Amino acid sequence: MEKALQPKKRRNAMRDTLGDKVFYTINGIFLGLVALIVLYPLYFIVIASISNTDAVLAGEVVLLPKDITLDGYAKILEHKEIWNGYLNTLIYTGLTVVLSLLVTIPAGWALSRKTLPGKKWFMIFFIIPMFFGGGLIPFYNVMSSLGLVNTIWAIILPSILSVWNLFMSKTFFESSIPNGLIEAAKIDGAGQWRIFASVVIPLSKAVIAVMALYYAVGQWNSYFNAMIFLQDETKYPLQLVLKEILIASESTVGGSGETMLEQFRLANQLKYVSVIASSLPVLCLYPFVQKYFAQGVMIGSLKE
Amino acid sequence: MAEVILKDLKKVYDNKVTAVHDVNLHIKDKEFIVLVGPSGCGKSTTLRMVAGLEEISDGELYIDGRLVNEVAPKDRDIAMVFQNYALYPHMTVYDNMAFALKLRKVSKADIDKKVREVAEILDITQYLSRKPKALSGGQRQRVAIGRAMVRDPKVFLMDEPLSNLDAKLRNQMRAEIIKLRSRINTTFMYVTHDQTEAMTLGDRIVIMKDGFVNQIGTPQEVFNKPVNLFVAGFIGMPVMNFFDRCKLLLEGGKYYAEIRGVKFELDEFQQKALKKNGVEPCDIVAGIRPQHVTVGEGKLSATIEVSEMMGSEYNIHARCGEDEVVMLIPTVDLTTDVSMGKTVSFTTKPGLIQLFDKATGNNLIWFDADSMANNAPVCKSYE
Amino acid sequence: MDTVTGTLSAPVLSKPVKPVNRKWKHLRENAPFLLMILPAVVVVFLFCYLPIYGVLIAFQDFMPGDPILSKDTIWVGFENFSRFFNDPQFWPLMKNTFLICIFGFVIGFPLPIIISLTLNALKSKKVGKTLQTIFTAPHFISLVVLVGMLSLFFGSGGLLASIARHFGGEYESLFLKDSAFRPLYILSSNWQDFGWSAVIYIAALSNVDPQQHEAAILDGATRFQRVIHVDLPAIMPMISVMLIMSIGGLMGVGYEKALLMQTDANLSVSELVSTYVYKRGLTGVPDQAYASAIGLFNSVINVVLLIIANTTSKKFSENSLW
Repeated sequence: MEKALQPKKRRNAMRDTLGDKVFYTINGIFLGLVALIVLYPLYFIVIASISNTDAVLAGEVVLLPKDITLDGYAKILEHKEIWNGYLNTLIYTGLTVVLSLLVTIPAGWALSRKTLPGKKWFMIFFIIPMFFGGGLIPFYNVMSSLGLVNTIWAIILPSILSVWNLFMSKTFFESSIPNGLIEAAKIDGAGQWRIFASVVIPLSKAVIAVMALYYAVGQWNSYFNAMIFLQDETKYPLQLVLKEILIASESTVGGSGETMLEQFRLANQLKYVSVIASSLPVLCLYPFVQKYFAQGVMIGSLKE
Repeated sequence: MAEVILKDLKKVYDNKVTAVHDVNLHIKDKEFIVLVGPSGCGKSTTLRMVAGLEEISDGELYIDGRLVNEVAPKDRDIAMVFQNYALYPHMTVYDNMAFALKLRKVSKADIDKKVREVAEILDITQYLSRKPKALSGGQRQRVAIGRAMVRDPKVFLMDEPLSNLDAKLRNQMRAEIIKLRSRINTTFMYVTHDQTEAMTLGDRIVIMKDGFVNQIGTPQEVFNKPVNLFVAGFIGMPVMNFFDRCKLLLEGGKYYAEIRGVKFELDEFQQKALKKNGVEPCDIVAGIRPQHVTVGEGKLSATIEVSEMMGSEYNIHARCGEDEVVMLIPTVDLTTDVSMGKTVSFTTKPGLIQLFDKATGNNLIWFDADSMANNAPVCKSYE
Repeated sequence: MDTVTGTLSAPVLSKPVKPVNRKWKHLRENAPFLLMILPAVVVVFLFCYLPIYGVLIAFQDFMPGDPILSKDTIWVGFENFSRFFNDPQFWPLMKNTFLICIFGFVIGFPLPIIISLTLNALKSKKVGKTLQTIFTAPHFISLVVLVGMLSLFFGSGGLLASIARHFGGEYESLFLKDSAFRPLYILSSNWQDFGWSAVIYIAALSNVDPQQHEAAILDGATRFQRVIHVDLPAIMPMISVMLIMSIGGLMGVGYEKALLMQTDANLSVSELVSTYVYKRGLTGVPDQAYASAIGLFNSVINVVLLIIANTTSKKFSENSLW
């Protein structure tokens, strides 16, 4: 009896037509190729970093590592500039994230409130810089007249507010904090500050995480402000150190073949290893936080 | 525990749209008042003005004798239950209920005592450490009520608190609110679009439409003495039957209602009232409640289009010329064949006929032009 | 009812409400918002508006250290601009900037759309998610590392050079060939960002009602036809917004990446307006007024392009930025 009642194993709900099958196959092949193009360079860097330098330079490392060695990693541990840059970047990133959240989140909340006095004017004030700026030179002059040149604040302060992020958080607050909650809190006796601290913040973990990540990645990866504002090498962030290691050599054309090769030999492994060492924190963190990043994009897209 | 007085309360949005027109209402201490009306009638806006969530455009609002127009919600000593419960999702049930007291700097011990006491009454003690997400709709509703209860507010405001519940739970919670009311013993202001809720809960009902108050009265009053077509059509289930193209006749000093050519001699009370109001013969709309229709006798006739057996009663939709007639006939009283397509005769007691002036829509007997409670403009339709 | 009327008609302890008071009260109630927004206003003022004010030097004979406005300020009108128009570098700069943007647009605009549509058309959602994760990963690589990787592949000591050496061939670093600069720049930018740019379309596609697809299946549409007739229309509004923004950025390529990729050998194609501004304004013997004028000229072009794109889009469809 019981057996008879059991439904037969469910067939695939729909049969694909031949055309569909062809489409799915082509689609799969296409995306597979794209994935290969994305992954191979990353893969190559990894295998090159653990292979013997001479084998890499001889073009023998293409698909698999050869003569696996961790020399490069040992070498980078002794590289003082990199570790100093690492430390600096950590400090800059940490400070940027903390300050940017303190600036962005309250402003986003205020901007999302209909009762903000002069809301229209604030909106215009923040929108204009999205489309028009003074440019590099006036920016540099402002920084220098503020006395920020060659201080770490030249790296941090200009990065603590992105108007895009501000509007993203505003959109989040408008769409995700139910008005009823705010009204309930008002009736419960909470003032504006209390509402912000006890109701809004605990409900905004997602957007706070997104903002923190955006600001952190931005600061981690930036080099330009450091390049123009910092003279003191001990203040260099990681990216600037990497720039010296990875890129500086490209522009030198001269040099005899032999010394060039020797230079490459020494520098080459360090390059592969430093690429990995510098990108590792972001790339490792990334799969775990990717849903927040995507969320951020979606919050932003609500605006349209 | 306070009187609430709304005097010419008005809400105008952006200096253009008037959402609430000069509402006058005197809510007595410990009274349960229900604001009811279709969506967009201004009932919620009125409540939110009392709560302090909407700015009062004009008029005066007194709570316990104090003018509170410009007083912040938290200082009005009111509590509110929201339609969507508005529970803080990141707080436990306990913290949700304690939040208002914490903000008022009540001592921890007192908070604890109060929260547990209320939780006991509402039967939610076992959920105190849960977050709202882990509760069912009915439980959330209790927490929302509990959050308001712990404060012992002077006025208890409820904005469609049951509309998010399914039908069965709604009936259950309605009964519980009635029970609770006797324990809480404070002034209630309750907003709903459901006339059944209004009838069962309210000491008095305020019926609103398009920002105007149409009638204020006890459930009996608004059911038996609707002042105009709108109130008559809004209160009562199923909806009152309206017969267009009827006449009020005055023959030999007696008033008659002529419905589809059939003359009904009105009863003594109606005669007196009409005389007192000095009503002239005129075109009228006659209203007969489905419960007041008798089938199988009388001179009116109708063709049955749909006949619904509801168990204890038949719900009959019949056509009587241009008018549709709904009749609610208890099964035990039924001796006539009411299957579809049959033509049946029907009648009603003349004293149960409601008479509405066709020109104004006002009830010829019950409309009181001097009452400040009704400031509604002429309401000609019953839709 | 009667008692109600009675109470109300009696003059109750009435006090007229002053509307002036109300405005003040409103302001006081919402003053915390002003405090919350204040830091952001200060930051934007300092780092966005002060530079906009500082751009006045583009109309001056300006030496570093001069105050922007004083009685000694020498105003030269548009002289700096006309100097730029007569600069032998003017046309090459314009051409380089425009070409790198237009080629970047031609490849970079449709690519994310194609990727999002194909990803969305995958049968397995799980595979789709994994691929999306892979595709977006390069976005988080820094420019320095990206250019570093380019040199590890295409530079004089890179993979291609090694392979060429392996087979006994000759290899010249692509960084030293001016013909290679644009492809290298554009393709690497796309490699880095196509996945990230696709996310916004993927989000829009995930909001398509599955019933629309089911209805299309019953109408006899193949998967490919559904991509064209269901999915594509769903992201069309997003596409137009993106199009407006891309057109607005057609002359707006930044200096960060180009500076890293520049070598003496490829300067003839890699010198862009923005990198030229940097070099003239901040390196060597700086001519800040001149550099500011060039920068201002460029951002005015960008704003004008954006306005044109937006107006056009508004005229022909309901999509616009403002």
